Amino acid sequence: MIGIEYRLKTFISPKDGRCLLVDTSAGLSLGVLPGLENYPSAVRAILPQANGVVCSPGQIGRLGPLQKTDAALLVRMDWNNTLRKSDFVLPSAHPQRLPILTTQDALDLGAEAMISTFLLGFEEEVEAACLRSTVELALEGKRLGLPLVIEIQTTGSRVSLPGKAVELGASYALEGGADVIVVPYPGKSSLKTISQFVSVPWLLCPSSLQNARVELEEALGIGATGLWLGHAIFAEHNLPGLLDEFNRLLHPEIAAER
Amino acid sequence: MQSGLKPRLERLFNRHGDGRAVCVAADHGYMSDVTDNVVQLRSITEAVVRGGVDGILVSPGQAMRLAPLFTGRDGPALIVRADWMNMPRLGSSNVLNAVPQRHLLHQKVLTAEQALSLGATAITIYLFVGYSDEVEARGIEVCAQFASECRKVGLPCIMEPLAVGGQVTGANTVELLTLGARMCVEIGADALKIPYTGDVESFANLVKVAQVPVLVLGGARSPSDRDALELFAEGLEAGCHGCLMGRNVTKAPDPERLIRQFGLVAHQGYSVDEALRGEKWDNVRLRVVTSKCTGCELCVNTCVGAHGAGEFSTHLARLSIDTLALGQHKVHYCTLCKKCIDICPTGALRWHPVSGAVELIVEQCTACGKCVDICPTNVIIKSDEKVFVNGAELPWVPVICDLCGGDPACARICPTEAITIDQRKVLK
Repeated sequence: MIGIEYRLKTFISPKDGRCLLVDTSAGLSLGVLPGLENYPSAVRAILPQANGVVCSPGQIGRLGPLQKTDAALLVRMDWNNTLRKSDFVLPSAHPQRLPILTTQDALDLGAEAMISTFLLGFEEEVEAACLRSTVELALEGKRLGLPLVIEIQTTGSRVSLPGKAVELGASYALEGGADVIVVPYPGKSSLKTISQFVSVPWLLCPSSLQNARVELEEALGIGATGLWLGHAIFAEHNLPGLLDEFNRLLHPEIAAER
Repeated sequence: MQSGLKPRLERLFNRHGDGRAVCVAADHGYMSDVTDNVVQLRSITEAVVRGGVDGILVSPGQAMRLAPLFTGRDGPALIVRADWMNMPRLGSSNVLNAVPQRHLLHQKVLTAEQALSLGATAITIYLFVGYSDEVEARGIEVCAQFASECRKVGLPCIMEPLAVGGQVTGANTVELLTLGARMCVEIGADALKIPYTGDVESFANLVKVAQVPVLVLGGARSPSDRDALELFAEGLEAGCHGCLMGRNVTKAPDPERLIRQFGLVAHQGYSVDEALRGEKWDNVRLRVVTSKCTGCELCVNTCVGAHGAGEFSTHLARLSIDTLALGQHKVHYCTLCKKCIDICPTGALRWHPVSGAVELIVEQCTACGKCVDICPTNVIIKSDEKVFVNGAELPWVPVICDLCGGDPACARICPTEAITIDQRKVLK
């Protein structure tokens, strides 16, 4: 467990136990994204403001060399097509999810943690595969000292109770062995339930950038470890100002020191 | 190659030297919706450990996280759920319907070696019978793989046959469970975790055909702790080797106390009543709180039923109820005052050496009627039938409360606890 504890502290601040993660790996499924056309320069610009950045396997090596104040790099372990909506150039007809890296690969790429998606509401087989891969990655991660971050996505069409579905996903991730869990905002009641039973660090993925501040305050108030932001922030005009604002909420004492 | 198998089975089944194990299944968050017992998993697990549980079944993730609870010589055995399925989220058994499932999916998740590296003393896996030929075949494949892997590393493999699906009619459930149990054993199960079949006889048959240690499971939470304990006691009577109870314990108001009670039944030979009160009493007496009596007469009817004294007449009941006024009732019962014993001229009445109740030695009775006359509560009555003793005919014999051998049916049935039992410390 020493390796895992050490690596967790590379993106969860040891000073206040909080964390801001930015996921920049959506290009794996969606190709070129607004603001990320020149990936290395766009992402390098946010490295001093984030605690961790999630990269695709191909992009992780293009960001170095890193300085000690830069964010830790985490790697996306799987690919899926569920982000492709009906207006996308190649909409997904059938949900697909594939593992694309092994734990050893992630370690070789220099990642501080593995990010894997847990999809709920799609085919039973997709969910079963997510569960299996969570346990496999967790066990391998324990062996190699690499933390596993599970990102829950309850975007399938068969989700009938969104809040309860997020609770279910968090429970599966926990029982499967995740070291950190990313939960989409499920509403007040479910967020409270999640805070009661999730015994590992958990991050909030807000329902939208507009709601992020309010939802983050609520989550931090009941024990959230931090915030998970997606690629959409790169389309914002004042990205440094936005990240500063979140950092003031997440790390008030550190921000005051600056 | 199986050098680890025996010590691990011993650790699970022989912590108390009696071949029995009281275990708890705490793997619900791995397969079903998030309910209170999932939210409170850690505190519940800590509670059952304090209660002296012999083994706990958890998911791989929780095995990593709760590892400190399993350490030490007194720590419980760690049982790891090595497969996964979505059955609790199917159809009518679905708790919340957050993400409904359309068909049963069952898969292998861990290898036996991985379970061993988590510190497992045993693993548990399902075998579904009655859903479809394909699911059953897949289950056989999974079980066979585990049996093979477990043999290689010396890890006990507990298989859990479940009768689920459209081919289960209710009428064939016991038959399907017995079939599943035997199939598991033929595949290579070292022990079974299996639902109670509903009666001692059919469960005893299942245990007999299983030929390996059987742990009874409880299913959904019973209405009360007593029901869960009675199910377990019946399982033990049928010959099972313990229990692997889930929701009956994890959803109980006090899991620590309930596990302690399970332990008393399994390891100390306590009856359910004794376990519930936490004491083994040599002798008992009835205790009546008149103000709680509603006059329902369930006790009277139960008394005649328990003694085979006729279902349509209560005149042979060994207790009675008088209605004094509207809502006011007086229970007449044997207070063990000893007046009958003292007055009996032939010594035909004495304290029963085991139950402590008044016992009639028919051979010495002369039907003199003195005991009937002296009884201050009028609960000694004359039998309807003649009795032949030593060639002589007695017109009747006294019918006296025998405290049902130490477990009075009237106290068990009383819905308002107007009649309870108490310890009788001295036979005076």
